[in-house]
Amino acid sequence: MRRVLWLSISATLLGCAGNGEGLDANGRPIMSGGPIPLAPTFESIQQNVFTPICTACHAGAAAPVGLRLDEASSYAMLVGTASVEVPAVHRVEPGNPDASYLIQKLEGTAPVGGRMPLGSPPLPQATIDVIRQWITAGAQRAAAATSAAAPATIIGVEPQRDQILDRPPREILLSSDAALDTSALQAGAVTLMRSGGDGSFAEGNEVTIAPLRIDVRSLEPTVIAIEIAPQDWTPDSYRLSVAGAGSIAMSDRSGAAIDGDNDGRAGGDFRMDFEIGRPL
Amino acid sequence: MFARVVILIVGLAAAQAAFAEPYFAVQTGLKCMNCHSNPTGGGIRNAFGRTWSQTVLPSHPIDLDQQSLSGEISRYLSIGTNLRVDGTYLDVPHQPTQNNFDIEEARLYLELTAIPDRLSIYFDQRIAPGGSNNLEAYVRYWSANHLWYVKAGQMYLPYGWRLEDDTAFVREVPGINMFTPDRGVEVGLELGPWDAQFAVSNGTAGAPENDRGKQYSALAQFVQPIWRVGVSANFNDADAGTRRLGGIFAGVRTGPIAWLGEADYVADKSFPDGERKQQVGLLEANWLMRKGHNLKLTAEYFDPDDSVDEDERARYSIVYEHTPIQFVQLRLGARVYDGIPQNDLDNRRFAFLQVNGYF
Repeated sequence: MRRVLWLSISATLLGCAGNGEGLDANGRPIMSGGPIPLAPTFESIQQNVFTPICTACHAGAAAPVGLRLDEASSYAMLVGTASVEVPAVHRVEPGNPDASYLIQKLEGTAPVGGRMPLGSPPLPQATIDVIRQWITAGAQRAAAATSAAAPATIIGVEPQRDQILDRPPREILLSSDAALDTSALQAGAVTLMRSGGDGSFAEGNEVTIAPLRIDVRSLEPTVIAIEIAPQDWTPDSYRLSVAGAGSIAMSDRSGAAIDGDNDGRAGGDFRMDFEIGRPL
Repeated sequence: MFARVVILIVGLAAAQAAFAEPYFAVQTGLKCMNCHSNPTGGGIRNAFGRTWSQTVLPSHPIDLDQQSLSGEISRYLSIGTNLRVDGTYLDVPHQPTQNNFDIEEARLYLELTAIPDRLSIYFDQRIAPGGSNNLEAYVRYWSANHLWYVKAGQMYLPYGWRLEDDTAFVREVPGINMFTPDRGVEVGLELGPWDAQFAVSNGTAGAPENDRGKQYSALAQFVQPIWRVGVSANFNDADAGTRRLGGIFAGVRTGPIAWLGEADYVADKSFPDGERKQQVGLLEANWLMRKGHNLKLTAEYFDPDDSVDEDERARYSIVYEHTPIQFVQLRLGARVYDGIPQNDLDNRRFAFLQVNGYF
């Protein structure tokens, strides 16, 4: 602690900003590729706006209104997702920037709260216009380049794997790194069950929760939101499964099954456990 | 570098800071609670704070023969407000400069006292710009001997200097500031020159709880008429990644200059690429040139990741504050951001003229 104190005091007095050698515009070591100029694509907006500006606050456990805008979370938490402050308005409404809460917050016209970024200069209108263009064009995200050796995978954005919640989630958000064939969703590829109170999924007393309301928020890459009737949630352990094998396996557009179990090979079910505890 | 050192030395020999109000406490040798209803400072003022801000702070207070609005509507109801209106100039490299008039912030404070000096309910509502949103809403109970209190509801957490400028690195990086209140319970102790607070909260910055982990915040300080020193700590146990903060802050008065300093260490595991260890520091000098005239110089430092070289950022501010009459403060200031050259926003220049109306 003493070292940190003296380092901070010395650095504050001497005011030594870094020279940025070997770093990208976000101050991170350059790994591959170069900077992406600002353009109406999600990747560009992420790198030029969300990561360097918004994640100063909207990251981690204490992200305001639960909105995380880091690279792994932002797309799924923005596109087609209801805002917390005005639930009737989606954060990003593909094709309609004026009806997107993100734009309203950036332009200072939102009915609740202050203009973003809060406490910092507003984004130049030219930057907001680029975000508007991206939304007008459908708020797409380029699917990650995948090779034959890298089948599509799924991650749980909200809740996260093994997360313990004090209250039911608004919805379950899953995101893929590729464009999936979503026709299998209607055939029962996604199932949600609870343990029956013993925390185990091998006792035979599990309860399958149905119906599930499944909403495809984005096709490329695929983002899926799963909603459950509020009365169906009860304190228990839950397991969400997405079929990666069998006749109803989820697959990408080429027909290759997802790598649900994340072993690097196509096939295998995606499973994500989480728990809703009793309110403290 | 030489220029920076010269600016800093001049500032240290002459200065006072911008937007940070804790320097009032250092200048007067008082605790925050001597002027504010909230024991940890900020928000609505108490009777002493109202009198001080109307008589001692302004250079030419208007004698209103007690006809002005005091904010204390009755023994059981007090209101207060702050409105900050800015004219700003922003210069970001490679972008057109921007000039704006803007409402930076308007807040309303309301305190309902059920049992005088013991039990009250408090609200801090941000009403502009944009729509209204609640920042603080809590019930507070003081013990009969005023040695301890407990608060429950949504509140700002105890950590470091409660600066008015929430964009200061020492407030923005730890993420504990007046933009991010949290819901929970706080217990405070007042033991002569010592005071301490401990809070348990959701750790979600005011959003609904999303996991079982909680956030723990603690602050302790020792206050003397000329100097004070304190330590603060915070631990946020969250599924998205734990976050640990630790810091020390201090203030001292040398003649007409009130100095504030703070250094914090952040270990944050909530980044997608793993844990980052960060350091922030602030040094601020406030020169009370004469009654109602204050000059503030601030130097700040931020290391976003101590495992990455040459990514450090700095910020320098100079602000002249003039309080001509009660209820009005004028601020003229400039901030220079100094960051890595490939990030334009981290190298911006910002100037402002602000009118702050308050009571």
